[in-house]
Amino acid sequence: MLSLTSPVETPAHGWRVGPKLLALAGLTLGLFLPAPGWPALALALAVLVAAALAAGRWAILAAWLRLFRPLWPFALLLILWHGVTRTPLEGAVILLRMAAAMGAANLVTMTTRLADLQGLVLWLMRPLAPILPAKPLAIAIALMIRFVPVMSDRAAQLAQAWPARSSRRARARLMAPRALAALDDADRVAEALRARGGAL
Amino acid sequence: MEPIRLTHASCSVPGKTLLHDLSVTLAGRRIGLIGRNGSGKTTLLRLIAGLVAPSAGTVRLGETDPFADRKAALRKIGILFQNPDHQILFPTVEEELAFGLTQLGQPQAQALALAKARLAAEGREDWTKRAVSTLSHGQKQWLCLQAILLMGPETLLLDEPFAALDLPTETRLRRQLARLPQRLITIAHRPDDLSDCDEVLWLEAGRLAGFGPPAQVLPGFIAEMTRLGAEDAP
Repeated sequence: MLSLTSPVETPAHGWRVGPKLLALAGLTLGLFLPAPGWPALALALAVLVAAALAAGRWAILAAWLRLFRPLWPFALLLILWHGVTRTPLEGAVILLRMAAAMGAANLVTMTTRLADLQGLVLWLMRPLAPILPAKPLAIAIALMIRFVPVMSDRAAQLAQAWPARSSRRARARLMAPRALAALDDADRVAEALRARGGAL
Repeated sequence: MEPIRLTHASCSVPGKTLLHDLSVTLAGRRIGLIGRNGSGKTTLLRLIAGLVAPSAGTVRLGETDPFADRKAALRKIGILFQNPDHQILFPTVEEELAFGLTQLGQPQAQALALAKARLAAEGREDWTKRAVSTLSHGQKQWLCLQAILLMGPETLLLDEPFAALDLPTETRLRRQLARLPQRLITIAHRPDDLSDCDEVLWLEAGRLAGFGPPAQVLPGFIAEMTRLGAEDAP
């Protein structure tokens, strides 16, 4: 999710995050409302085409299309099943509904800056402030964004340290060092937080 | 500038005592901290910064207990870790700079504006939104130093600030540090780095081996280090 935000600016980048997510929720709900076959198919197709149009430029469209890849096994299964039961229209509706919902959701992810999403989450959490104060939550989100790449770097270093002294594959044996390294990092982060005020 | 006072201060972790019964008053503006690897230099900095509590004795910055009264300690002391990657907490430069200010009670928007102004004053306005992961080691160190300086502490604790820096970066950092009006307590290894200090504190196996002006402490230190270096490790 972190790397999904597209650096290529599209019209959808400019839409405000709140309405964008609300529209996504409404659209997804609408897609899955019970409806007769042909209109349902038309609606799903319309959503899919609208998402593709909003994706706009080719550079992001290609990336957007690649995100449909995990859908293939399910598509295959649906085609098989509805082929056997001779219900092609129902099959097509389910397939297009899935594709439309996924396409629209991916488009939102790709065109929304993480900082905006974070702002929205914090705004939505305001009623919970007495139980879950906003500031630690904001720091936790920022720490996650900062340390996901740090931890994957650390994992990559460990993955190199192993073959540097062994001819055998590391496989699962790096799991423990990775976990320990993460704990080590957590200790250091706690200290760095304390050095600048911590939970004040 | 308030003196930093340690009174019979010790520091232990389970199974090991890292600092034994230190009593010393640091009052100079440039203070050097020397000693061999494992002699307790970093532990002493962490003790003074209030990151760990003494297991016995007291540490005071003026009247403040840096471990118990974090709010007051933050305005008095800032620490630069040896590895900037262990210090940087936020994904972008502006957030990293603003964090300390919000901790001192500034609203987020104002803290971000101050961070931006500091970057502009240093001629690095284009750094504002940069991801910290794209910075070089020297740039990260600079960022950590600025993040601490923005909080305006009286004393800076520097843990081997020049380790792992290339020569030009080291020279630049030395110049920046020399200009600072704050009190600097610096861990160093080379005696040459310490001749300008007001006071030098020499730790040996967690105990005070010497304290005073460099001319008084350094000759003994150099003689001992030379003697040890001439022997092979046991």
